[in-house]
Amino acid sequence: MNKVILVASISLAVTVLAGCTNKSVVRYGDATAVETTDISFGSTDLQKVAGEMTDSLLVSPVVGTLTANKRPIVFVDRIKNKTSEHIDTESITDSISTKLLRSGKFRFVDMARVDAAREQLDFQQNSGMVDSSKAMQFGRQVGAEYMLYGNLSSIVKSNKDQSDVYYKFTMRLMDLESGLVEWADETEIRKTKGKEFVSW
Amino acid sequence: MLLKNVFVLTISNKSLVVKRGKSLYFITDMMRVHFLNKDLSKGYMFRVLLRITVCIVLATALSSCSSMSFGDIFSSYNTQMQPVHSAQFNGDFKLAESLIKPRGTSDGTYALSLLETGRLQYLDANWKTSEQTLALAYQQVQTSEQQAKIQLSRGVENVGALVSNDSALRYDIPFYEQSMLHTYQALNYLYQRQFEGALVEVRRANLVQEKALLANQGSLFKAQQDMNNNGISDKSFNESYPSMAATIGEVKNGFQNAYTFYLSALLYEAAGELNDAYIDYKKALEIFTHNHFLQQDVLRLAKKLAMTDDLARFEQQFGQYKSNEIKNSGQLVIMLEQGIINPKEEIAINLPIFTSHNDMRFYSVALPTYRQRKSPRTPLMLTVNEQSYQSQEIIRLQSLAAKHLEDQLPSIVVRQVLRLIAKEEMRQQISRKGGDLGNILASLYNIASEKADTRSWSTLPDNVQIIRLNLAAGKHQLQIKHQGQSKIIDVEINANRISLINVNSIGNYLDHKAINL
Repeated sequence: MNKVILVASISLAVTVLAGCTNKSVVRYGDATAVETTDISFGSTDLQKVAGEMTDSLLVSPVVGTLTANKRPIVFVDRIKNKTSEHIDTESITDSISTKLLRSGKFRFVDMARVDAAREQLDFQQNSGMVDSSKAMQFGRQVGAEYMLYGNLSSIVKSNKDQSDVYYKFTMRLMDLESGLVEWADETEIRKTKGKEFVSW
Repeated sequence: MLLKNVFVLTISNKSLVVKRGKSLYFITDMMRVHFLNKDLSKGYMFRVLLRITVCIVLATALSSCSSMSFGDIFSSYNTQMQPVHSAQFNGDFKLAESLIKPRGTSDGTYALSLLETGRLQYLDANWKTSEQTLALAYQQVQTSEQQAKIQLSRGVENVGALVSNDSALRYDIPFYEQSMLHTYQALNYLYQRQFEGALVEVRRANLVQEKALLANQGSLFKAQQDMNNNGISDKSFNESYPSMAATIGEVKNGFQNAYTFYLSALLYEAAGELNDAYIDYKKALEIFTHNHFLQQDVLRLAKKLAMTDDLARFEQQFGQYKSNEIKNSGQLVIMLEQGIINPKEEIAINLPIFTSHNDMRFYSVALPTYRQRKSPRTPLMLTVNEQSYQSQEIIRLQSLAAKHLEDQLPSIVVRQVLRLIAKEEMRQQISRKGGDLGNILASLYNIASEKADTRSWSTLPDNVQIIRLNLAAGKHQLQIKHQGQSKIIDVEINANRISLINVNSIGNYLDHKAINL
C-alpha cells in the first residue's frame, strides 16, 4: 500500500515538474516562411500585401505607359490604419517603395527625411565648414509627380468555436497635378483560427 | 508538546473555546462540539506532524505551478488592496502603485494586478508605462479568449478552489473592465499624441461592447418582454419611446459602457469621420437618455449628416434643435472621472445545508457583495465667461460591476456549497486519521481559508460626467469646482476643433489634463 502511494506521489511530482519546466531554443529560420503564430497581422501578411501591390502596380498597363519613356517621381503618403490592431503601416510602405525602386521604373522622394535633409543643407550653406562651390544649393530638389497612398481595414468576428479576421488593403496612385487616380488595387486576406477542444 | 485532558466546547457556531487544565484558550469559529480526552503519545504526534509536513510540501510544490499564491488562501483581495485604496484616495499614486502586490505570470490574479497598476500609472500621468502595462493585460485577455474549450488546468484550479477558496480560480476580466481597459489605452495613446493608436483602441473597445451586447442579449430581450407584458407593444414603440428607452438604458447600463462610446465618438469626430461618430453618440444616448449634452450631440450630427428620419424622431423627444454654433468657434469637452469604485466586500451568511446524516445544519459561508456607497455623487461646476455649467453623468461603473456580480452569483453559490462539502469531508477524513489534533487543524484551516472572492478592478473611478459647449476660438480661462475643491484652467480653443479636458477628482485630489484634438 505504501509503495503504491510512493509510486503515485513520485509520478505526480514528475508530471508537475515537467509541466513547469520550459526549455528555450534559439534557431534561425526562413524570413519568407509562412508564419502562423497567431491570428493577428503578421510578417506573412505584410509580405503578401506588399508583394501583391507592387506586382499589380508594375504590370498595370497605365503604369506601363507612364514609365515608358521616363521614371516618374513618387512620394509615399502614409497608409491609414483602420484596423483594430496596432500595425506599423510605415513598414508596409517601406517594403512597397523598396520593391518599386528595385524595379528601376520609379524614383522616390522621402518626406520622412525632409528635416534631416534641410539640416544638412543648412550645415553646408551656413556652417562655413563646407567649400561653398561644392555645397549643395537650396531649392534644387525636384517635386513629386505622383502620390501613393492607401488604407488598411479589418473586420474581426469571433464566437466560441473560432475567430476570424478579414483584412482589406487598398492602394492608389494619384497624379498630383491633375488629381486623377491613375491606378488602384486591393488585396484581401482572411485568417480563421479554430479553437482547440482540449488543452492543458 | 503534549495535549492532556483537553476539553473543547463551543459557545456558538462562531467561536471555539478550548479548556486545558485551568486555562481557557479562545480559538475561533467552529461548528461542532468535541471532547478530547486522550493521551497523545510522542510517536503518534510525530506521525501526525510528518503527515502535515508532507501536505505542506506538496501544497507548496503545487502552488509553485498553480495559479494561487500562498497569501491568497488566507486573506481576501479586498483586504490586500486596502492600503492601495487609501494611498489612491490621498492622491499619492506612486505610493499606491508600489503597494500593489507583485504577481507572477502564472498567478491567476496576474491580469487584474496589471489592470490596477496600469490605472494608477495612468493617474500618475505615466502614459507610456501605463500603455505598456495595459497592453500586457490585453494580451492576457486575448490568450484566455483563444484558449481551448476544455482546459485541463482550469480543472486543477477548480480542485484547488474546492479545498481553499474562489481566489484559486483564474480571474477572467469581465467585459466592462475590458472596455475600460481600452478606454484608458485610448487616452494613453492620445496623450502621447498618437491618434491612430487611440482610434485602434477605440475600435477594440467597440468589439468588446459588441461581445457584451451579444452575451447579454437575453436580459435585454427579457426587459423588452416585461415591457410588452405591461402593455407596451412594439407598435407603440415610437409613442412610448422615452419611457421605454429609459428602461432599456437601465438594462444596457448593466453591460455597456457609454463613456467608452462617447470617447470613441469624440475621437471619430476629431478625425473627421462623422458617420462613425454619429453611431457611437447614438449608442451612448441609448444608455444615458437623459444626458442633455449627449442629446445635443446626436441632434447636431443628425442635422449635419442630414439624417432626416432620425432628426425628426429625436426632435420629438428632446425638443427642437437650435444650433448654437458661433462662427469661428471650437468645442470644449470636459470629462470628469469621480472617486473610486466601491470594492467588492465579503459578507458571511448562514446557509442551511442537509448533511449526509440527514440533519440540517447552518454553515457559515463567505460571499462577495457590493455595499451601498457612502459619499454622494456630485456634479462638477464649470464657470467660463461668467456663465455656469453643470456636468451630467455618462457612466456609473458601479452598475456595471453590480450587474456582473449578479450574473456570476449563482455559480459562486454552487461552488461555495460544493466547497463546504469538500472541506467538511476533508475535515472528517483528517480527524479520522489524525485524531483530534488533525480535527482542530483541519477546522482551523477550513475557517481561515474561507474567503470570498473579492477580486475586481478596484482602482476605477466611481462615475464619469461630461460637459460640452461651444466657445469662440482663442484663449479662455475656466474655473472648475468639485466637492469643495476648485481650480483655474487655461485652455486654448481652436476653430472647428475639439479641446478635451480630462478631470480626475478623488478625495481631495483634483487634477486635469488638457489636449487639443
